[in-house]
Amino acid sequence: MFGAERTRTLLGPADPARHAVVGPPLVSARELIDRADATETVAGRRRVRPTRRVVLAAGTLAVAVGAVAVLQPFGEGAPDTPDEPAAAAGLVLVPVAYQFDADPPAAGPQLRMLADKIKDAAYDHQSGRYMYHHSKLWGDPVMTSADGRHHVAFASETKVWQAADGTGNQASSQLEPQYPDQESRDYWEREGSARPAATGTPAPSVIPLPPRELRPPSAVPSELRELLKVEYGAGAASKEVSTLYGRYVVPRATRAAVLRVLADVPGFRWRGQVTDRAGRHGVAVTFEDREHDQQSLLIFDPKTGELLADELLTLSPVRISSYKVILDTAWTDRVG
Amino acid sequence: MGPPKKRDEGWFTSLYAAEYEHMVRYGLRRLADRDASAELAQEVFVVAWRRRAEVPERSLPWLYGVARRLLANQWRSRRAAPDLLPITDVDLERLAGSSGADTSVGVADIWTALANLNDLDQEILRLVGWEELTVSEAAKVLGCTGATAAVRLHRARRRLAEAMSDRPGQTRRSPVLMTIREDL
Repeated sequence: MFGAERTRTLLGPADPARHAVVGPPLVSARELIDRADATETVAGRRRVRPTRRVVLAAGTLAVAVGAVAVLQPFGEGAPDTPDEPAAAAGLVLVPVAYQFDADPPAAGPQLRMLADKIKDAAYDHQSGRYMYHHSKLWGDPVMTSADGRHHVAFASETKVWQAADGTGNQASSQLEPQYPDQESRDYWEREGSARPAATGTPAPSVIPLPPRELRPPSAVPSELRELLKVEYGAGAASKEVSTLYGRYVVPRATRAAVLRVLADVPGFRWRGQVTDRAGRHGVAVTFEDREHDQQSLLIFDPKTGELLADELLTLSPVRISSYKVILDTAWTDRVG
Repeated sequence: MGPPKKRDEGWFTSLYAAEYEHMVRYGLRRLADRDASAELAQEVFVVAWRRRAEVPERSLPWLYGVARRLLANQWRSRRAAPDLLPITDVDLERLAGSSGADTSVGVADIWTALANLNDLDQEILRLVGWEELTVSEAAKVLGCTGATAAVRLHRARRRLAEAMSDRPGQTRRSPVLMTIREDL
């Protein structure tokens, strides 16, 4: 019911900086240049200058684990969306078929065996300044009809070139709409003007990436357990594994360590051989979070141990909430 | 986009003069400390000088993106530290300025409701509502497409309205996990 301007009208009075008087900078531009030049590169590595402690709002740390967003369709309440072509009919998503669909065994022993036998991936023999990832995503966010029954989301394709200091490029393209069930597809086809808008443009939007610290993932089990947030359980660990493989080019030793860490996380079940949405053969584990009515799925390459894809499903009814397929990972010196 | 214009000290000095205040205000909206906000702003411009060839003509969203990442890095590096201080409502009132006008019940409700949203919801509301970015610019800060940002804003506004309608007496949700999904 309200757009950017109304958001400003609502939130403006609550702006903590609204009446704050900002004094002139205490250091000059020249001093900042000197600081930057002094800390930029030491023997090819940036020297990290200790900074004064800053504190963050507790609210910025809060997020629901595994939550999948739903919202009402764009209509008059979405003035921020530019005029765009209407959504075309798209795929109805079906769940990945599992080798062990009913009564799957515990995943621990299988994950340990996999960790012991994985081989080098193609990128283990590459070098380059940039980590390259090509992924296809769907389901972030999912849009839902006003009655809450019909869902749609647009698939998107992302290519990211990212150096160790975080800089690089990200190119994103919005693809076709996809639906978690036939009823949703039928509904959105009927809705015409009320259905969500798509950008419909084949041209990717390219964003230059600002720098940030990227620490290569450790193969040390204790550090990996912390990185993967296993203390929060298998659902959180699944999400973090997805983030890890979407952000880094993970070397073989670390891939094996990831599998061994997951083997010790309670709740993962072994689903055996599967075919991912890109048509690749993989092996899968799932975690069923009955409390939140959802299942996390991880699909690994049976030869290299790389993560091929991850998905989130609702259990009642069984329906895809989101998926990510990692189509390519590489080291390169060229930014696209 | 085209090649950047001459990126010399004069360009940087102009950029610093034009955008410093925006960066300090960005910090004030997210930190509990004026000095920390000023320091954050300085760090943003240190990065901007190092990466001057990459700073777009319309620089503000890029600078906000740097600030967001600096804050995220800071949090990641300190996540195990027991003395990490959250901003409380009291902190926010203290930061709200000297007029006292912002301590009304409505404003407090908005702060409480905002604090109950997840990071992405909060951030897009702040970027649009306080930093006054367009949805397209906010998308650049968050590293997503404009359409995704529009959807996220729509969702965040709805959740904010729901959170406000739940007041008062709703307990603040405990921090669970920091998630910046596909945050570049």
